[in-house]
Amino acid sequence: MAQASMIPEACTILEAHRETEKEVHFVLEAPRERPFQPEPGQFVMVSVPGIGEAPISLAGLPGEGAPEGAIELLIRKAGRLTTIVTRMVAGDTLYVRGPYGRRVDWDQFEGSNVMLIAGGLGLAPLRPFVRRALLRRDRFRHIDILVGARSPEDLLFRDDLAAWKARRDDVRTLVTVDAAADGWGGRIGVITTLFDHVHPDAEDAVAFICGPPVMYRHAIRKLLAMGFYENRVWLTLERRMKCGIGLCGNCQMNGHYLCQQGPLFSYREVRHMKEAV
Amino acid sequence: MEHEIYRFPRERLDDLVERLEREYRVVAPVRKGDVHGWEEVRRGTPIALDYPTTMLPPRQWFAPPREVLFRFQRTAGRYRFEPPPPERPLALIGVHGCDLTGLRVMRSFHESSCRDRVVTDRLDQSFVVGLACWEPCLAETFCRDMGSLDNETPADLYLWDLGEVLLLKAIKPRGREVIADLGGLEAATADEQVALRRRLRGRHDAFPLHFKFQPSKLPVALEAAESDILWEASAERCLSCGRCNIVCPTCTCFDVQDVASLDGESGERVRVWHGCQIPGFARVAGGHDFRPTRTQQLRYRIFRKGKYMPERYGMVGCTGCGRCHKHCPTHISIRDIFRQVGGPA
Repeated sequence: MAQASMIPEACTILEAHRETEKEVHFVLEAPRERPFQPEPGQFVMVSVPGIGEAPISLAGLPGEGAPEGAIELLIRKAGRLTTIVTRMVAGDTLYVRGPYGRRVDWDQFEGSNVMLIAGGLGLAPLRPFVRRALLRRDRFRHIDILVGARSPEDLLFRDDLAAWKARRDDVRTLVTVDAAADGWGGRIGVITTLFDHVHPDAEDAVAFICGPPVMYRHAIRKLLAMGFYENRVWLTLERRMKCGIGLCGNCQMNGHYLCQQGPLFSYREVRHMKEAV
Repeated sequence: MEHEIYRFPRERLDDLVERLEREYRVVAPVRKGDVHGWEEVRRGTPIALDYPTTMLPPRQWFAPPREVLFRFQRTAGRYRFEPPPPERPLALIGVHGCDLTGLRVMRSFHESSCRDRVVTDRLDQSFVVGLACWEPCLAETFCRDMGSLDNETPADLYLWDLGEVLLLKAIKPRGREVIADLGGLEAATADEQVALRRRLRGRHDAFPLHFKFQPSKLPVALEAAESDILWEASAERCLSCGRCNIVCPTCTCFDVQDVASLDGESGERVRVWHGCQIPGFARVAGGHDFRPTRTQQLRYRIFRKGKYMPERYGMVGCTGCGRCHKHCPTHISIRDIFRQVGGPA
């Protein structure tokens, strides 16, 4: 029966790295039974039978950072399912279906200056965008990566941040934290303070934003003030998703099912929607 | 003859049930205490063709309140998944215009989702016998305004109860086949056909119009009605009980839950009805709620019915059945909101 579309596949965890007190970074087998060719911005539904299921953004795509045939997920301990999952180790099994969400044509971004604005957990969904831009570095102009976290301890993907910073000739990576104890040698302040340090040519620029709900409005305002086109400001939005296939209704924003029409939208596509940002 | 009308002796309802039972699970309105509900019937079950309306619409048979998506069982350390077994298609007897419209809206919604055809298949495989209404079922009904009163789609067969006699017509080839299988039905007499036309002509008098605008105008009218005050006026008495969602023939939202055996070795993943008026519907992991106030929730429900659904699926998501108003503990009225938003001209 067609309900098979919600049946997940067993995927073995290959690596589990604790990123912070709450977050674990998993490398796991990608589903194999159906074609699995995700694009940046897409997500999978992850479950443990008997416990439940949750939408998780892809933090690494097969062959683009993650090994061929594998995906990366960053999972924060937030509820019952993620409490159990964040205790899992290599060799354990997760149950995965997907990928879900809109596939955006990448050709339109090539030749642009790229700005990535990631607040907190928002770095996980944006990581495939960074990875792809770096893999195809010659097809982009300036790349600016702005990263914000609550504290130095909350910073995610620190190895990546260090690697990106090391490429200072062709990538600019700016990191800030809201607050830090003594000894933090970096910037302190909310993520929008980083905008003062970047000056991309907005005529040929594209930006991707992902972060906590409160961040979008401020980040979009900064970008528009810098002269960005409304349809080159891309947002990856979060909503409650229970099915991933445009049926259950929990993720609706105005008339849109985020799991299908999103979660990646240009600001122009959602600016008239009261529920968007 | 096209749309030939037959006289259908009331005592032959049982023959119709028996004929449909050969292929279908047959469901019809049955009296349950003071109310009526859609129940599985067999030959001999008293079917209440004079029912006012049911509390739950027939959608409960196409997208049940609780439905198994798959069962799981752990063997050799890994879970295996088993989809539910195939089921017999449904036949419904005695569906009013509002609920026929509800089935159409359900179909237009579900066929827009290309990845899951469960509900669409159930609708497509079902056999539906429509039934004409002569007076509003509820004081809250506004089916004529919404175009549901005269709607006969997607019925295969259609019944008119004229009291002393039932008249029956086939709308689809499957309906004609069933009439042929039943056998022995006589064409309605000229007098009966005249009586039917007279009843139909006079019927609109029993269903006064509430709106002074066409419902097709609702998306545009609502577009201009985003500001909070109108919604606050009703939302301030909302109890967030979600009854309006539960009784609505066009609500489709659900939650997904796992139910495991005590040892965790087996269980099932189920979809259960959920609704946009129920607290937490738009709350994500970590606690942020994207639609936290009752004002936002009520506006969302009405916008979905009157704007988002017609814009996306081509049909207004309200049939005018009046159930949400009738069963609301504080009498929040979608009819009044539409009337106010649509305006006098």
